[in-house]
Amino acid sequence: MIGNSLKIAWRNMAKNKLYSFIKIGGFAFGIAICILIVLYIKQETSYNKFYPAMDRIYRLVVQLPIEGKIERWVSLSAPVAPTLKAEIPSIEQTGRILPNPLFGAGSNQLSLNDNPQSFYDDGFVYVDQSILDMFPTPMVSGRLAHALDQPNTLVITKSKAEKYFKTDPIGQTIYLNNNRSKLYTITGVIEDIPQNSTLAGYSFFISLAGEPFYPGEQNQWLSNNYTVYIKLKPQVNIEQTEKEILRNYKEHYLPEYKKSGRKLNPVFEQVKINLQNALDIHLMSADIDDDKVSTLNRGDIRMVWTFATVALFILLIACINFINLSTANAATRAKEIGIRKTIGSTRALLIRQFLLEAICYSVLSLFVGLLLSCFLLPIFNNLANKSLTIPWTSLYFFPSLLVAIMFIGSLAGIYPALYLSRFKPIAALKNKTTGAKSSLFRNGLVIFQFATSIILIVSALVTNQQIRYILEKDLGFKKEQVIVLRGVGTLGNQIPSLKDELKSIPNVSSVSLGDFLPVPIDGAKRNGNPFWNEGRREIDMATQGQFWEIDQDYLATFGLQLTKGRNFDPTMATDSTAAIINQKLADDLGLKNPLGAKITNGNTWTVVGVVDNFIFESLKGKGFAGLCMVLRGYPSLLSIKVKPENLQETLNGINRVWNKFSPNQKINYSFLDEGFASLYQDVERTKNIFSCFAIVAIFVAALGLFGLATYVTQQRTKEIGVRKVLGASTLRLLKLLSGDFIKLVFVAMVIASPVAWWAMNQWLRDFNYKIDINWMYFILAGMGAILIALGTISYQTWKAIRTNPVDSLRDE
Amino acid sequence: MIQLKHLFKWYNVGGTRSFVLKDVSLDIAEGDFISIMGPSGSGKSTLLNIIGMLDEPDEGEYIFMDENVLEMKAKKRSQLYQSHIGYVFQAYHLLDELTVYENIETPLIYKDISSKERKAIVADMLDRFGIVGKKDLFPAQLSGGQQQIVGIARALAGSPKLLLADEPTGNLNSKQGEEIMELFKQLNDDGVTIIQVTHSEKNAEYGKRIVNMLDGQLK
Repeated sequence: MIGNSLKIAWRNMAKNKLYSFIKIGGFAFGIAICILIVLYIKQETSYNKFYPAMDRIYRLVVQLPIEGKIERWVSLSAPVAPTLKAEIPSIEQTGRILPNPLFGAGSNQLSLNDNPQSFYDDGFVYVDQSILDMFPTPMVSGRLAHALDQPNTLVITKSKAEKYFKTDPIGQTIYLNNNRSKLYTITGVIEDIPQNSTLAGYSFFISLAGEPFYPGEQNQWLSNNYTVYIKLKPQVNIEQTEKEILRNYKEHYLPEYKKSGRKLNPVFEQVKINLQNALDIHLMSADIDDDKVSTLNRGDIRMVWTFATVALFILLIACINFINLSTANAATRAKEIGIRKTIGSTRALLIRQFLLEAICYSVLSLFVGLLLSCFLLPIFNNLANKSLTIPWTSLYFFPSLLVAIMFIGSLAGIYPALYLSRFKPIAALKNKTTGAKSSLFRNGLVIFQFATSIILIVSALVTNQQIRYILEKDLGFKKEQVIVLRGVGTLGNQIPSLKDELKSIPNVSSVSLGDFLPVPIDGAKRNGNPFWNEGRREIDMATQGQFWEIDQDYLATFGLQLTKGRNFDPTMATDSTAAIINQKLADDLGLKNPLGAKITNGNTWTVVGVVDNFIFESLKGKGFAGLCMVLRGYPSLLSIKVKPENLQETLNGINRVWNKFSPNQKINYSFLDEGFASLYQDVERTKNIFSCFAIVAIFVAALGLFGLATYVTQQRTKEIGVRKVLGASTLRLLKLLSGDFIKLVFVAMVIASPVAWWAMNQWLRDFNYKIDINWMYFILAGMGAILIALGTISYQTWKAIRTNPVDSLRDE
Repeated sequence: MIQLKHLFKWYNVGGTRSFVLKDVSLDIAEGDFISIMGPSGSGKSTLLNIIGMLDEPDEGEYIFMDENVLEMKAKKRSQLYQSHIGYVFQAYHLLDELTVYENIETPLIYKDISSKERKAIVADMLDRFGIVGKKDLFPAQLSGGQQQIVGIARALAGSPKLLLADEPTGNLNSKQGEEIMELFKQLNDDGVTIIQVTHSEKNAEYGKRIVNMLDGQLK
């Protein structure tokens, strides 16, 4: 029985090559996309799972309702971790990560032993030894336990060890940014951190033991720079511990706060400290703003859901192709069904046969789909910024695929099987069954396919529009033609002469020293300070703002406009306590006449200028923030504004000057606007992924429509012949045949538009600066779908219309 | 073997009933060979289909081997059908995707006969009808007469007691038709009850009994 069915299935496939191709091709595409997305989801949900005892490891997350919105952050002060460990018995261990570039984490110039040559590298982070214990990575050499117990020790990854050292690196030393007074000794080499780890992206783990970053820093409760991890003892009540932690934190924090003489924001009453399980860190932290400082490879559970939904829908589109083609094809199968019934087949046997056939198709599709996914994987990896591989050797891989495909095959096959096996034998033999002519069910499925495609097209259009909007948005400063040189800090007191020589290069308009760039690219610094009007520190609530150290060329280099007052003048002694603030900070501090006003963040500054607000945070985040800029700094970044002419020559000039000053260090520069664009890589990725999904969806749907149109026109050949004999024009016939399909696509457009509108509004909610969704997108997507549908069916329709009616009517 | 009592079958066309069968009663004994004759649309094929359990009357009673067919459950009916009835069509109705061998084998598969037994039966049929050399050909590669012989072999593979034939020679030339009729006669002599529908006086003569139909009624 099964052999017989398989034989029939195979011969049917071979006979109707085009339809077999459409069925298998569509299915295979759907399956390939699904395989890729399942791999992606598996990877996204696998974060930290390979570490032991993850059920007991948590990250501290602070939350506070600010202006009606719950704000969450992970930065806490240095003494939190040791205090909790000492004072709360249910906590087994605590550990801190300090990822902030302000303290030297992130990227640095690195020199080995006594060699003055220095190399740019990133992935520097300060950690406690206990972090390496909680997230243990196999050692290549050295001892993992106690590796970072001593001050100025460092653990590096295997690939960095291989990059910099020919011999065993243990015991060798490095120093950073030409600072020979602080040597770090390598005490361990660990395997590279897996991509699906919270620590991914870090390669240099510097010990937090030892000297504070500034006097008293380790006991400073009010300065929040550390991410804190805790390991609970087994069987500990989480909520209870959260309460204990909060109580303990307040016990220490509040007296310190009081001591500082500042006024506590009443909102602080509602502060909560939550324990976020280590397994949730990757996907459940999209709303934690400072998470991006400590986590280099962030995920978002909403993305996972979106992907899963899209995969499901593309698979459904492929299933629908199968259903539609199988039922539309009924006419050609009717005779077989009739015969089988007259020679003794029961309905159950027929259902079995058709289901088996469907499963055959799906299993074949699976193999084609697997092949396709192999080809598509590199493209997908590139799109999603992943390095996924197909787990060929995994034991579960093939069995679970087969089970899934059996299920999908049955899902796609059950309706056609029920439909076809219902035929009455005599009617079937006389070909009096209803085949491809419109059925409500089939029309519904076509509408579903096109609605899905249109939603994806709209998504692609909107994301595309948004990224263009972001990249072209007037930020209030000029990011174009600015070259950023890194690692300048190694030059020490030679920096001013470097600056002067760079300025003398033709086509260089200005040069500014400073790490606080208006674009938060790699190496650029950010902070957060409380500000008050002088003398109001103990009376007013603090105003939050950034505190940037810049030089007198900053405004010119980045094209910032002074609205009041003047630029810094280093020749004026008083300018060492001068400040230029932005309009937002002036507003927040209530300064009607800011010039000459004195403001304080601990130190007191006299406002000498006010600049217009400009966007220096991500367009995704909040609006303008307050900003106070002062004249000083020990920078590692140097920004050069150049003229667009003869760019190559200008670059050569910069290169020459650099090599003269710093022969031991390779020049490392980038363009500010490129850095800006790379900040929105995730948006760019979302756009690309949606575009690809939209293309696949519309392709698979069009494939199905093509098959359907073929059947329908075949069925209507006689009708067309009669109409032609009666004198119908080609145009009229074209309208007649296409009209039905176009109507369906039109209905799909009507259904899809509100769904797409809603979905895209959800997505845009993340952006503070965003486009308005234009109704043109829906028209465009709908017209696109209609055009594609028309193009798809026109060939078949045209062929049918061109047939000589003498031929199509002859069989009467 | 078969008793048909007061069979009616009709279609509703625009509010009025159009009768296909009108009060048809017929007794058929085992070993009989009946030819049903009549003009197009007289209801002969419908009658044959009802006897063959492929169609149902709107009214009346149908007793097959002492059992009431119309009150039977579908499963029982298909069992009865599988074990007792073979069908031959004017247009042969072979399965295009299957070879001669596989076409003859298919009804045996539906009867759940073991593969060993199937082989023996199919070999026997091929031999009996002289088509051993054609067993791996597809229907499209055979002439009409040959296709009909395969059709008959397939109908007989399940060794039915009743063979129903709907104009079995309608698509054949007269020589092929004669061969088929001779075959039928021989089968009948071997004890198979045959009911055939035909237009041809000459073919009808092969039967033991001729039944004439006109406008849904027996004459």
